[in-house]
Amino acid sequence: MKMLYLIALTALATGTTARAQMGTNTAPHFLRLLDIHADIAEGILGGHTFTNRGHVHASSPGFDMTCEQLVASSPQSGGRVNHIVAETNVVIDATDSKGQTVHATSDKAVYDYSVENGVTNETVTLTGNPQPQVITHQGTFVSTNWADVIIWDRANNGFRSIGNTRSIGGPTSAGTNAPPAATNELTATKMSLPPGADTNFPPGKLDLIPSGHPGNSAPPPGRPPPLQR
Amino acid sequence: MAGAVLLAGCTKSGDNVVENHAPQDAPGHTRDFTSVKYFDAAPFQQQMKSRLSGADAQPLPGGLLVIKQFKLETFNTNGSRQAIGEAPECVYDMKNGAANSAGHLRLQSGDGKARVEGDGFLWRQDDSFFIISNHTHEVFEIGSETNIGL
Repeated sequence: MKMLYLIALTALATGTTARAQMGTNTAPHFLRLLDIHADIAEGILGGHTFTNRGHVHASSPGFDMTCEQLVASSPQSGGRVNHIVAETNVVIDATDSKGQTVHATSDKAVYDYSVENGVTNETVTLTGNPQPQVITHQGTFVSTNWADVIIWDRANNGFRSIGNTRSIGGPTSAGTNAPPAATNELTATKMSLPPGADTNFPPGKLDLIPSGHPGNSAPPPGRPPPLQR
Repeated sequence: MAGAVLLAGCTKSGDNVVENHAPQDAPGHTRDFTSVKYFDAAPFQQQMKSRLSGADAQPLPGGLLVIKQFKLETFNTNGSRQAIGEAPECVYDMKNGAANSAGHLRLQSGDGKARVEGDGFLWRQDDSFFIISNHTHEVFEIGSETNIGL
């Protein structure tokens, strides 16, 4: 066993359109059909809680999770499965509706689904010790986040960090054939510069000042200026 | 005669009623085994809570039965089928109302929207608790109206 919640890109795209048309944020479920493998499964026939233990692997299109214990519950009043708790060495690999890949690790992950006043709430809350970690890849950009609590808001397609938080991000490492990331950094045209002016100084620095110019008397970087007597 | 013994004293609601409709091939060996448990609470005492059946039942010492082609059905109070389970073979403890086996068990909800299977199981008739202890595989639909417990 192994509790299944996922991202079907087509379904999500359809849901986005539907939301726009209906003026609500009612989204299709992050997880629809959960396929679980585990060592042990137990529950009550006709009950509201189902437990899987040992080498739990839960999957659904666009979603994979492993953990040591998974408990899925439906409300006592009956109805849909809306609460899943995964514990111990939780590892989630998923793809969201934007094509962003998500790799999350935590001690505990809690999935909740509800619809209130036509608004869908679907979250995965990561907690525990060591701190939950979420690594996201979007195009050529990778971001790694740690926090005491990380809430993956599936309905709004975002993450929220609570408590001690730390993050790093940047382009993915070299070795790919992906095009360089677009930036708004200005680039200097040096075609008209006099000979010898093309240095490795940053744009807009001393190398742009023609030799003989009064302002070009500064020494190269790293060399102390001459003493003035 | 085994069937008659099993039937004795088991007629009020909540008790097991064990029936065998087929002739015995050998002493104590019966075919078309069936055991029914009814709901305890009013007004459902006439409604089946669970029904165990098998193509073949062989008694063992201690009130045990080895049941071939074991089939388990549980029902809601409105009579609709809640879950169905099947196993090639199991040992049914008549005294404690429990079935177990080292073999395969497949359970599915009455509407077929959820299912679980695996090897090695125990099922208790009183509280409908079940545990499958090896190589379990479960599929259920998030958001379906089917209870997760099948």
